[in-house]
Parts: sequence; C-alpha cells; structure tokens
Amino acid sequence: MTASWRAGIDIGGTFTDIVLLSDEGAVRTRKVPSTVDDYARGIVEGLAVLLAEAAIAPDELAAVLHATTIGSNAVLERGGARTGLITTEGFRDTLEIRDLRMPRLYDVGWTKPPALVERRHRLGIAERTRADGTISRAPDEAEIEAAIGRLVDHGIESLAVCLINAHANGANERVVAAVAARIAPSLPVSLSHVVLPEIKEYPRTSTTVINAYLLPVVRAYLARLGNGMVSQRIAAPLMLMQSNGGLLPAAQAASLPMTIVESGPAAGVIGARALAQRLGIPRIVTFDMGGTTAKAAMVEEGEAARAAAFQVGGGIMQGSRLLTGGGYTLKVPAIDLAEVGAGGGSIVSLDAGGAPKVGPRSAGSRPGPVCYGFGGTEPTITDCALVLGWLDPAGLAGGAITLDRDAAAAALATRIAAPLGLTLEEAAHGMVRIAVATMMRAIRAVSVERGRDPRRFALFAFGGNGPLLGAAMAEELGMEAVMVPPAPGLFSAFGLLYADVEHHLSATFRGRLDKVSPTSFAAARNQLAAEAASRLADDGFPPARQAFTATAELRYVGQSSELPVALPEGDAAAVLAALPALFAAVHEQAFGYAAGPAEPVEIVAMQMIGRGIPVRPPVPERVVTDHRAAGGGSRRAYFGPHGWRDAPLLSRESAAAGAIGPAIVAEYDATCLVPPGWRVRGDAAGNLVLERG
Amino acid sequence: MTDTPKRDAIAFELFRNAIVALADEMSLTIYRASYSGVLKNIMDYSTALCDAEGRLVAQGLSLPGHLCSIPVALQAALAHFAGDIAEGDVITMNDPFQGGMHLPDIFVFRPLFHEGRIVAIAATICHHTDVGGRVAGSNASDSTEIYQEGLRIPPLKLHERGVPNATLLAIIERNVRVPDRVMGDLRAQLAACAIAERGMVDLVAAHGPDAVMALMQEVTDHTERMTRAAIAALPDGEAEFEDWIDDDQIDAGVPIRLFCRVTKRGDRMVMDWTGSSPQVKGAINNTLSYTRGASFTAAKCVLPPELPNNDGVFRIVDVIAPPGTIANAVLPAACAARGLTGFRMVDCAMGALAMLYPELVYAASDGGNTGISIGGWTKERRPFIYVDFLSGAWGGRPWADGLDGNTNMFANMASHSAEVIEAEQPLEVLCNEFVADTGGAGRYRGGVSIRRDWRFLEHEAVLQVRADRRTHRPYGLYGGEPGTPSLNMMNPGTEAEALLAAKLTMTIRNGDVFRHELPGAGGWGDPLTRDPEAVLADVVQELVTADAAARDYGVVLVAGKVDVVATEAMRERLTAARAWTATPRVSWTPWREAGQ
Repeated sequence: MTASWRAGIDIGGTFTDIVLLSDEGAVRTRKVPSTVDDYARGIVEGLAVLLAEAAIAPDELAAVLHATTIGSNAVLERGGARTGLITTEGFRDTLEIRDLRMPRLYDVGWTKPPALVERRHRLGIAERTRADGTISRAPDEAEIEAAIGRLVDHGIESLAVCLINAHANGANERVVAAVAARIAPSLPVSLSHVVLPEIKEYPRTSTTVINAYLLPVVRAYLARLGNGMVSQRIAAPLMLMQSNGGLLPAAQAASLPMTIVESGPAAGVIGARALAQRLGIPRIVTFDMGGTTAKAAMVEEGEAARAAAFQVGGGIMQGSRLLTGGGYTLKVPAIDLAEVGAGGGSIVSLDAGGAPKVGPRSAGSRPGPVCYGFGGTEPTITDCALVLGWLDPAGLAGGAITLDRDAAAAALATRIAAPLGLTLEEAAHGMVRIAVATMMRAIRAVSVERGRDPRRFALFAFGGNGPLLGAAMAEELGMEAVMVPPAPGLFSAFGLLYADVEHHLSATFRGRLDKVSPTSFAAARNQLAAEAASRLADDGFPPARQAFTATAELRYVGQSSELPVALPEGDAAAVLAALPALFAAVHEQAFGYAAGPAEPVEIVAMQMIGRGIPVRPPVPERVVTDHRAAGGGSRRAYFGPHGWRDAPLLSRESAAAGAIGPAIVAEYDATCLVPPGWRVRGDAAGNLVLERG
Repeated sequence: MTDTPKRDAIAFELFRNAIVALADEMSLTIYRASYSGVLKNIMDYSTALCDAEGRLVAQGLSLPGHLCSIPVALQAALAHFAGDIAEGDVITMNDPFQGGMHLPDIFVFRPLFHEGRIVAIAATICHHTDVGGRVAGSNASDSTEIYQEGLRIPPLKLHERGVPNATLLAIIERNVRVPDRVMGDLRAQLAACAIAERGMVDLVAAHGPDAVMALMQEVTDHTERMTRAAIAALPDGEAEFEDWIDDDQIDAGVPIRLFCRVTKRGDRMVMDWTGSSPQVKGAINNTLSYTRGASFTAAKCVLPPELPNNDGVFRIVDVIAPPGTIANAVLPAACAARGLTGFRMVDCAMGALAMLYPELVYAASDGGNTGISIGGWTKERRPFIYVDFLSGAWGGRPWADGLDGNTNMFANMASHSAEVIEAEQPLEVLCNEFVADTGGAGRYRGGVSIRRDWRFLEHEAVLQVRADRRTHRPYGLYGGEPGTPSLNMMNPGTEAEALLAAKLTMTIRNGDVFRHELPGAGGWGDPLTRDPEAVLADVVQELVTADAAARDYGVVLVAGKVDVVATEAMRERLTAARAWTATPRVSWTPWREAGQ
C-alpha cells in the first residue's frame, strides 16, 4: 500500500483537532477531547479512531505533523524539570534580575513570575571569557565537580550552562559539559552557546534555562507519542511545528524543545501563508479568534513576519508590546503574533465609570457563556452573537452544545442594556463592536509597528470565532476582502500540512559595514549555511532540495535596535557594498524616513534559514472537507444600522457559488457571517471569499 | 457630576479605544525609530494626544515620571505663541523654567488641524543622550546653575508651515556631543507626530471634528468620574511625612528635607509640599511638573491601577509646591539630576499615604535609581561614554514581600546587558548579583540590594555617580526594619580599597574596580511575626544568612529546619530586649542601633 495520507494534529486545552489529508485532496477532520493527564494518549486514540472510520490503513500515513502546547503549558503551570544553572561567578542572579522591567505601571500588587531555577540551584564558577572571545580564565574542574555534585544532590533533573561571553567562545561551557558527562552522564545539559549563540546574557540565560526546563518533559512526551504510534502500527515520521513556522523532526525537537513552545498559533499562519501564496495574494493579515484570545500575524510576499524574541506566559498583551517582563523571555525566532484578550468567552461588563468593557476577564469553557447553561451568569461575546441571531441556538460542534438564547438575553438585558438605556440588540451589537475595536489593536500592532497600512492587506479569518467577526474586523480596518479557509475552526491542524522542514540559525556578527572584512563576513555566512545544510541532510534532504535564506540584522551606528534585511546572493564585498542602500529602503518603509547615505550602518547579527523543499507541493490545489452542513432556510439576525434582516442559512457549497449578504454559513466547526454590504464567493483553493459591495 | 451620555456609550468606548491605541502607536514609533539606548532600554520618553487647549487626553505607555510634564510644557508653549500657530508648525522646547523638566528632555509638539482649526495636538518628550553643557550626558548632579547644564531651548518652531527651521536645527546640532543620536531621536519624535496626524485624520473622517473634540472632553470627564469615585471610597483624613535626601554633593553632608502633607476629603486629594527645603545649589531641583508627576504616581498607587492617565486625574488631585523650593525651583536653579528628587518625593508622598492607609502602601523602595557615567577619551582620542541607571528593590508590602531585582515604580527602566557593555565600552563587568541580608527585615521582607562591579580598561576616565540613601536609609513601616544603605567603593578587597561618598565625580585609571551596591528596601510589619518557614526559605535561597535569621527574625534553624521551641524562646527574648511600647510606624534605623 502506498502512503498517501498525512495527519495534522493540534492540541488545545479542550479539544485536540485532527486533520487527515490525502494526496487527492480528500480531507477527514475530527475534534476529540484532549486528554489532559497525558495528551499523547488522546492523540493516538483519536488518530486510530479516525483512521478506522475512514478505512485508512496505518501504513498509508506518510507523516504525522504535530503542534503542541506541551512546552508553553509546562512553563505556565511550572511543570518543567527541576533545573540547575551554572554560570559565571558574580552572575548568579542574571536569571532573576532579568532586565529589571515590569509590565504593569502603578501596580503595587505586581509580582514577578518566579525564576524557573531557584536561587540555591544557580551556582557561579570562577572563569572568564572576554568580549572578544579570548579566555582570561579557564574554569577549574574541581570547582565544576563540586557545583554539579551539589546540584545532583539536590535532585536536579536537567542542567543549563550559561557563562558570560560564551556566544563569542563556548570553550569554557564545553569544559563544564565534559565534567557533567563524566560525573553525571544521564543529566541532560543545555549549553548557551549551542542553544543561542548571541550576545546579551539575560536573554541567552533565560532561553537556555527554558530549554533545560522543558527538555525532560518534552522528551518523555515525544517518547510516549512515538510508542503509541508504534502500538497502532503507524510508522510515519513524527514532525513538530516550531514557533517559527517550520517543521522539525521529533528527535531534534526533543533536544531543542525551546523551538516548539508556540507551535500551535504558528501552524495556522503557515497554512494561511500557503493558501495566499497559491492564490497569488501578496499581503494578508491572519486573524485567529478563539474562545479567550484573538491573534494576528502579518504575511507579506509569501513570508510571515517574524519576531526575534517573545515572552512565554507574559499574559495577554493589551495593545502594548513594550511593557515586557510579564513572562519568561525566549529569544527564538518566532512568527510575530500579537495577541489580545478578546474571544467568544470574553465577559462584557460596565466599568466603575459606567463605560462598557469587553474582557479582559473570560468565562473560558467553564462556566462559559451564559447560553451554554453551565452556570455562567456574566454575558459574553458569544451570548451577544446568539442574541443577535448570528449563531444557531441548535448548537455548536454538530449539536454537542445547545445554546439558551433566553438566558443570554436576560443577562445582557439586566447587566448591559438596561443600565445603558439601550435596546437588547443595540447593546449586544455595541459590545461586539467594542470587541472588534479591541481586536483591531492586535492587527494594528503587527502592521503599523512595521509601517504597513492594513488597508492594503486581505484578512484571513479562522479559529472558532474568526469567520463570525472577520467581515466586521475588515470593515473597521478598511480592508476589502476576507478569506475563510476550509475547516476554519480547526485550521491550525490544517495549517500543519502546509509547513516545510526548516532550521533557523543565528550568530552574533558585529561591525560597521564599511569596515567589515569581506572574508570574515563570507566565512560567517558560509558557516551558518554549512550548519543548516548539514541539519537538512540529516533530515533526508539532498543538496538539490535545500534552500537557504540569509538575513542580516542592521542598524545605523548609534541606534540600539535592528531591522532585518535579506542578504542578496553573491560575492561578499558586493553584498556589503549593497547593504546600506537596502537597509535605508527597509528603514524608510518601517519608520517613514532614512538617514542620508553618509550615515554609517552596522551589522550586529546574521541569520540563516535552511528549508527542505518537498518533492511535490504538500497540499493539492483543491481540498474537499467532510462534515458538510446542509444549509437551507433563514434566520432573523440583527446588523446594526441595517436593523433586523432575514439572513439565509447557506452551506459552504452554496456560499461558494456566490451570494449577497446578509447570509450565514454554519459549519461543523465555525459560523461565517456575511453582513449586509458584503458578498461571498468561493475561490480555487476552497476558501470562502467575502468582499465589500 | 454627569453620567456617561447613554446613547453614545458605545461610540464613546470605541473612540476611547482608538485614541489610546493611537497614543500607543506613537510610542511604538519612537521605540522602533530612535537611536539612543536611553530611549530604547530605559524608555525615558512619552507620547500623548492632547486637546486644542493642551489638556492631556491619552498618554502612550511611558515613564510615570512624565505623567504631568506634557500638559504643563504644552500649555506653556501655547501661551507663548498666543494663537500664532499655523498648519504644518511643529513646536519644540526644553526650558525647565517655561514648562520643561530638565534640559535633556526635549518636547516636540505638532498641532493637528482640520480646515484651519486645531482639533488636537500630538505631543512627545524624549530624554536625549546629550544637550551639551559641562559634563557629557548633560546629567551632572554637581552643576550649580542651569547655564552649566547645556542648551536651553524656549518654545520655538522646529517646523514652520511644514518647512524645517534650519537655523534652530543647526544650533542644536552644533551644541550637543552626539549630534547623530540627537538628530536621529528628534526625527523619531517627528515620525511619531506624523503617525498621530494620520490617525487623527481617520478619526475626524469617522466622527467629524466637533464630535472628536466633544469625545476627547468626555474621555477626561469619564476618568474624572472614575477617579472621584475611587478617592471617595477611601476614608477621609490628613497625614504628613518627612524624608531626607543625604545631600546635594555641593553642600556635602547637609541633608535636604522633603515634606508632604496629604489631605483627603470626600472625592478630592491634596498633596502639599510646603515645608520642603528651599532650592539647593546642586542639580537636583524639581520643576513643578516633575513634582506633580511624583505626586500623581504616589496617588495612583492607592487608586485602582486601571485608571487612565489623563487630565481627569489631574483635575482632582491638587499639588501645592511653593516657588523657590526644591519642589518648584526658580532661575537659575540647576536641575539636570532632578530624577533623584522625583524618586524620593514618591517615597515621601507614599509615606504620607501609608500613614493614612496602612494596608495599601509599601515600605520605602531603594530610593530610586543610581545614575552612573564613565566617560573619557581613548588613547586614539576617540570618545567613549557609558551611562547606566540601576534600581531594583521594592519595599515590603502589607500583604507580601517586596520585589527583588525589579525596577522602581517611578521609572520602568531596563538596565544594560553586561555583555553589551563589554562589547562597546572599555569596561569589564565583574558582578551583577543580589546581596544577602540587605532587605529590611519585616513580617514582609524588603527587596534585597544588587551589587555591580566594573573594571576600567582604558587609561583614564571620569567616573560620576549619583546615589543616595547612604545616611538616610529606606524606611521600614509598622515595625519593619529599614533596608541597608547604598555603598560606593573603589577597588574592593585590595590594599587600595576605599569607601566613597554617595555622590561623586572622580578620575579613575586602568585596572580600577568600582563597586556600587543599591540600598536594600524597607521591611513591612514586625519581623518577629514573619512566618518562620518564609525565613527558612530565604536562608535556603541565600538571601538571608542563618545569623540574620536569628538576629533579625528570631528564627533558629537547626539542620535545615526551623527549631520551633528555640524560635519561640528567641522571639520572646528579642521582644523583651527591644521593649517597644507601641509598634513604630516608621523606622529609619534598626532598633538595635537606635539611640546609638
């Protein structure tokens, strides 16, 4: 039997989403309850059931692609390994002092997240590497032995090593690793110059510690998952989604778990990028709205915008991405997602001054919105959508939950509409508009921060609630089109199927462009490329199927933050000569001005992405999903200035054939709203496209 | 008091969201486009949108110390031009005696017009790396009049009807040590104003100019209602507090009095600084706007954190500061290093609030940041200048320990990375670490001190340090002990070891090691009532030594466990020894040293 199906699996707190895709474009989807005690069990069982139902033999699976929250959960719930840290004498508290900043002004109640390694397990050793990489003091092996011995006595399960200036020379860290291998051979060791060979001791220490903290947990999880697959006779390779949107073989993810911390949100963006690229749409903003949060990312010319670092567990950003310090710093390239605490479960309320508010509190899935009938008493955005007629009272997820419209209406009437002197529908519609305004800030954060005008982008809406509010978001932002992919409610699992194997490498490389030696520049670039090529070869990609993208982090001399600039191919001297002008163009676009050509530019780091090119496009041109809803009939629904209207209920097929709003497309996993003033049609890739006019 | 116009509640909330988001976008623009580390790492800048009269409507996330500076400066500039403002004009200024704060803080304002009428005003303030004067960084604490401190700019037009003022720009460029950074940061301020203009055009298109102006008014009115309600919910009362700055470096050893009386009646609060020291010779004098910023920061700490920052708060917290005092200096006072006084006014006002509301306010923090600069010329005659600000300890709170290694409330700043310092400066950083037994003992312990050691690698440089809390330690509250004093030392652990003053300017040479230790923060509540297990945890984590556990907390540890019986006996002994007739509300010295 030929392997002709691939699986995408995305774990959430409530549901695990599984998508199977055949080479011919057939799709099988399933939401199964997540097994919180052991996520691997739910995945293996769910996959087995879906394979059996679809009559697919285990050896027909060619690959299992997986996005998991296991990493971020371990950090958020403090469920990682008991970790020790060896650092340079005098820098024991770098991990806890951090960069001193806090995310909340004027809040005397603020409490720092506790360091992932407690102070008694952070030990300094006498050693020193200078800033230029020369070693002024080699470490003493006896001192290292004593330190590791003390940590092992304390029950350390994983060791992080981060010495000052190790990014410039890792020799002293390797001495520590050698001693550890000798006296504690089973202790996993994460070295900072391997994990993150970049300057700045705090982010490097924090990233190395997170890697060490997650390593035993992720390794055990992947082992369980692998064993479970074997027990189901699934021999397909297991690949993990990284925060940067590339896939990584499970064995490598087990040794660099810090790369997979934000894997779920990345997958949806990668899927959206692939669909947009296939359709020739140059610029999209993704809008992924679920029950508690909404996330946005920007994709331009086939590339998702990336951030160089992020915070794990930093809480939901409230329109501000500058107030850092709320979580744990992870300096790993990641798809740049802006997140706001607004989702279907966000509670709507009035503040002390009588002004209406959406969130940041969420009813979550328990007690959930009032209309779920699980005991929720405070109205939510989902309650508003139900009162407005946008959602089907008969329920969600194929009728798994029925919705109590009367209860939702009563709660909204007493808590919002009456105090504001509004009708029920005015209040519900107003609160949805405020939610839209809140979520707009996420989209503006990813676009305006880079100097991009969101009006020039199409909105790509998914997640359980994305298609419901996509048109409203686009209208407020002045965007012309909204795309809703197939299976929008489990699109993150779907997106996995579009991802490529990628290795992201970086290195500190500093100097003024007019003074950098082309030889050393070429050497640094070649070294990164060679490392990426070797990793791709390990993954089974011959040289002909390897692609490389190099970027330089540049700034004007005197500036203290950088912009990434793609490095052109070619002779190092010519590249160096061309970079100032390329940088000026990027700077102009981001900030609206560039300094004159005489202004010196410096390079501070270089990055290399090695991408494995698949033999054929991973996803066929057109996919056909299961779980087709019938459509038919209509429902009274309220549309603000347009008032109450009869909205036809459409199947995805009839919507794809073309319709004029108002209309409602209800599917297994999400509801898509086409407001008055909007049209809907299908495109060649199976998306619904909403357009104004 | 008026209610929110109900029909427009939704439109109001949408507008408020939009205008706050716009102020934040301005802030992001400066963050991304600015040149200097002072702006990026320390975030010593602010952005805001104001109404046509210069009242603050929305402030971007920013430094608390800038809370009041923008409206004061902007209103001074508007008065200066008295209506002579045209579309395309951009106004700049930094004069502390005409609405500014200290010379490095340069304001850039851009009035936003609709059909010939000012609808709103975009405002930015950035701390620039250098504005000339006798000391690099323009931040010296030992200047004695403003004329030594750098370029003083009255309200002037940086752009006139869209045309850059080449004369003014040239004067600025010629008078600063690092023109590329200063001009780059000014461009970042202009870029933020351009973002504001674009956003305001959209808002006017959506709502119309009159509605935008009415909604801006309503934004501040709404905040005023929330603030009034929050203040009204606190009990009425009056309390005063006195604190001392060690000295101003010029009159060494002469303490400087800060005095604050807080009166709370109904839905209003007054903070009166009458009784504070006359203005001093050294450069730590405050302008009124900075005193107001410190006062509001303290007040906001007892109000709900979600209250917006705008004119609605300013209207109902009155700040009184007589001219000619350190809280409201007049010409020719030097004020470059007034940051110190601002921090300490927050401590002082918080102390007064702690007397009124014991359960809401923490004990004294580290007293604000220590400013350190090391500057000179390399043998090749290339200039170097290293400027850093360190802070890190919060006072013990009525419900929890003070934070260790966290920025002071008044300035949400980051510190520089040791590796970046070493890559860019002729310095080696030897240490950046907590110091045990420095947090004031208390039922809730004060945050601990951070020690930093630098070794100087070039041939010669001038070291400038502005520290304090050396003789007047961070106070403890309600039985809590004070934190440890700050420490400056040269070449610790060598024969050349020398203890230095808190504020100093001196020459250092190759190989010299300078050590600074921040003050530890004050404790809250009687340390003899601290949970012995919490004391044990601090000992295990090596933040408190076993000796100090017994001495300060009466906790006896045996083999890594609390000896309950011995601890009870020890605590009884200590209780008798200190012989309190009442729990002291404020402690400036540990009880063992009191009376010595």
